[in-house]
Amino acid sequence: MKPFIKRTAPVLGLLGLGLASCQPDIEAPSVSAGSADFSRYISVGNSLTAGYADGGLYREGQLNSYPSILAGQFALVGGGDFMQPLFTEAQSNGGGYLRLAGFTTATATSFSAPITAPVTTNLAVRGGTAQNPLYTQFLDPINNLGVPGIRMSDIQTPGYGSTQGNPYFERITPPALALQTYLQRVQATVASIKPTFFTEWLGNNDVLGYATAGGAASFITPTATFTTNTGLVLDALVAGGAKGLVATIPDVTGIPFFTTVGPSYRASLDLNKVPVTAAPLIYTTGILAPGQPNTRVLTAKLSDIRDAGGNGNLLLTLTASPYLRFYGQPSGKYWRDFYKQATGAAPTGPTDPVYNGFLRGLAVDTTKAFGQSTGNPFPSTLVLDPTEQTTVATATTALNSALIAAANARNLAVFDANVFFRTVAVNGFATNAVNNTAGYLSGNLFGLDGVHPTPRGYSVIANEMLKAINAKYGSSFQGVNPNTYRGVVFP
Amino acid sequence: MTVKTLLLAGGTLLISASAASASGFQVNLGGQKNIGMGGVGVGLSLDQAAMYYNPGALAMVRENGVQVGFNAALARVSFRSENGGEQRNIENKVVTPFNFYASFGPKDAKYKFGVAVYTPYGSTLKYADNWEGRYALTEITLQSVYVQPTASYAITPQLSIGAGLTILAYGAVNLQKDIPLPTGNGHIILDGKTKTQFGYNAGIFFKPSDKLSAGVSYRSKIDATVESGDVTYSGLATGASAALVNRNFTATNFTATLPLPAVASVGVGISPTDKLTIGLDASLTFWSAYRTLDFGFSGDNGNAAATAKPGEVTDGRVGGNNFSTSKRFYQDALAFRLGGQYKVDDKLTVRLGSSYDFTAVKDGYVGPETPDADRILGTAGLSYQVTENLGVDASFLFEAFLKRSQSQQQLLDNGTTDRVAGTYRTNVYVPGIGVHYKF
Repeated sequence: MKPFIKRTAPVLGLLGLGLASCQPDIEAPSVSAGSADFSRYISVGNSLTAGYADGGLYREGQLNSYPSILAGQFALVGGGDFMQPLFTEAQSNGGGYLRLAGFTTATATSFSAPITAPVTTNLAVRGGTAQNPLYTQFLDPINNLGVPGIRMSDIQTPGYGSTQGNPYFERITPPALALQTYLQRVQATVASIKPTFFTEWLGNNDVLGYATAGGAASFITPTATFTTNTGLVLDALVAGGAKGLVATIPDVTGIPFFTTVGPSYRASLDLNKVPVTAAPLIYTTGILAPGQPNTRVLTAKLSDIRDAGGNGNLLLTLTASPYLRFYGQPSGKYWRDFYKQATGAAPTGPTDPVYNGFLRGLAVDTTKAFGQSTGNPFPSTLVLDPTEQTTVATATTALNSALIAAANARNLAVFDANVFFRTVAVNGFATNAVNNTAGYLSGNLFGLDGVHPTPRGYSVIANEMLKAINAKYGSSFQGVNPNTYRGVVFP
Repeated sequence: MTVKTLLLAGGTLLISASAASASGFQVNLGGQKNIGMGGVGVGLSLDQAAMYYNPGALAMVRENGVQVGFNAALARVSFRSENGGEQRNIENKVVTPFNFYASFGPKDAKYKFGVAVYTPYGSTLKYADNWEGRYALTEITLQSVYVQPTASYAITPQLSIGAGLTILAYGAVNLQKDIPLPTGNGHIILDGKTKTQFGYNAGIFFKPSDKLSAGVSYRSKIDATVESGDVTYSGLATGASAALVNRNFTATNFTATLPLPAVASVGVGISPTDKLTIGLDASLTFWSAYRTLDFGFSGDNGNAAATAKPGEVTDGRVGGNNFSTSKRFYQDALAFRLGGQYKVDDKLTVRLGSSYDFTAVKDGYVGPETPDADRILGTAGLSYQVTENLGVDASFLFEAFLKRSQSQQQLLDNGTTDRVAGTYRTNVYVPGIGVHYKF
């Protein structure tokens, strides 16, 4: 029997080898444009459109912007080059951004916490001041008109692209056209590029600025202004017959900027057995500005800070993180930083007369226990209280209604980012067996500033937009594998 | 002796395929003659392989004998992601399901004894590097060997019964996948041997005339349980965040149970002439027993020791959890088989068959470890009687899985996002050879 096996086995083996080449083929699904034409694409929007990430605009973020990912898909059906105002390799860190430097070591009384550090090398800063830098200009024709920080309410502001305006718009605005408004730039781009397709995602900052400042600064754009400007920018975009997609404003209260610090602070209070239902949290609400005595003081409990289980109705901002450890202590840490932010210089010392005048103007007494007394309240800028949350929610709904109505009136596709990110906040978003969430750092979707997506997050956005485009125009884009785009990389 | 020979024969091509040749990860390769006939056998009494197909038929097999068969199963799985990208293939691995039978008993007695060794379930797949489903599975090896002492008794010349004790004598599982760590890709291997378990295989065989026979058989479920498998990692974090990341990976051992489901079959055999025999089987595999694949983790490799809070239990973690569950929700799967053999002369017999196996996996539940789908099988075979006692049986089986697609939306709807959306297509080729010796 053995010789028999010996003789036949090679035959079997060879037969196997021959068959091994018979791989069943799965035809590549065809990609088609449907009823739209993707040959020339331009994108209009804010930081999200520019590819802003980790608290700054830099080359890697630009390369992974959702318009860039979309353009890569459009190229499959004849889309042309998509020019972005990329920072050069030599200045690849652009305006600077945050990097994750490491983590604090956990102790018996504290959890491990992330340490972020600013990236300050290879910047594209050409002048201006530390607070208002100017960046190396990029004046070639561009398809991506994303300008970090721009609001819908800014699109008709003359001089928005001047050295006194938005540095990111200034960066792409020729000095001779410094008075050109953003709307005029869009009109000029439509006239020169003659886009056949566009995406428009403005409006986030019309709410976000107010929200991230804890309702203490900035303002929410009135719906009437927003509606008018939305009509103007969309009319400019469809002027040449282009088809396009409009995205709505996501619910900002579900992003890590508001969902990280509160829960982790509550966990650390629990770890240290602080009686949270008894301990007061005294905070201010509304405008917080130099010279305005701080009179709108509210009293809550530490237990009102929303925890990981969703209990509590106060949201703490990501920026509140450095100040929480001063709770209950006579501390002027926040007010010194606030002073520096307002005046550009730190106080010279505790007796600095100007600083002390500043404190008196705010009616703040730093010898009182921080966050436990009306004299030294937890500042409004770091807390989004229920009233402010309602204001934000109402405004988001109203502005989104305006966006959707304007898009429908022009028969455009709509990516309802609000609906999408609300489901992500609740359920996470799995991509090819990886469970991404709206959590800070480990959720993969949001970067270090807690507001802007990671490349993974932008790729997910691009995929969702493609779904909306497919639905509207009968195209068949498949999108990209988000897992090949990075989340937050730990050192 | 020969497994090794055959592997060597496969040469350097050490890599390749799922052995599954029925629904799920079932392997219906009980005997070389039967394989050539589309896998029928419940209503027939061809040879000692009756112990696998229908132990009740053993007493009707005239001669005692020993037979052994080997198959070189080669699966070719292709996958294309829902998100475009290139087609992903699995690497070529040959697996060698085998069968061995020996029967004893006085020549003209009403009873027969026998022992069977076969591989009823198994799968081996290794996906292409960096494929889209890498975080679900990169590689799986699933093996099971049943040993079955069997007794059969002919109550009348027309009716016989038989039963065997099925012993899961050997079972092994090796599951590997990549882990998406924030520091880069890690890799985890779960490897374990099953403990010995018992079941039974029983059948009734009825042969009212030379031209007609029929049978029913039932093989019970055996739970393949790994009680203390090994968990090993590679590519865990090494940098500044190592303590934070690696504290979620402390487990060194796992437990898991995989049902090897029961199978109920009926079959008929028709012999219109002395030379021609036709078999028809229907079989139902009770895959609905496979509800979830659960892993429990235990042990402590010390990865969390430095960062543990007082009183914090940090052992037994994989991805921060002591437990993982993944939905299977398989459904009972039917198969219909048809095959025949024709005796060309005293020495040569040729065979042909086909079968249709319905999938055990519902839409939206297809996972890379069993890219199951409805299957169409075609088989051919021949036997050559070298001497009066010694014969050779060759078989070939080709199996095409119908193209199977699932969307991310289906995965979301079913809560099965631990696998990937896309399209699978599989072909399986199983050449096999056996020898039998009658005495």
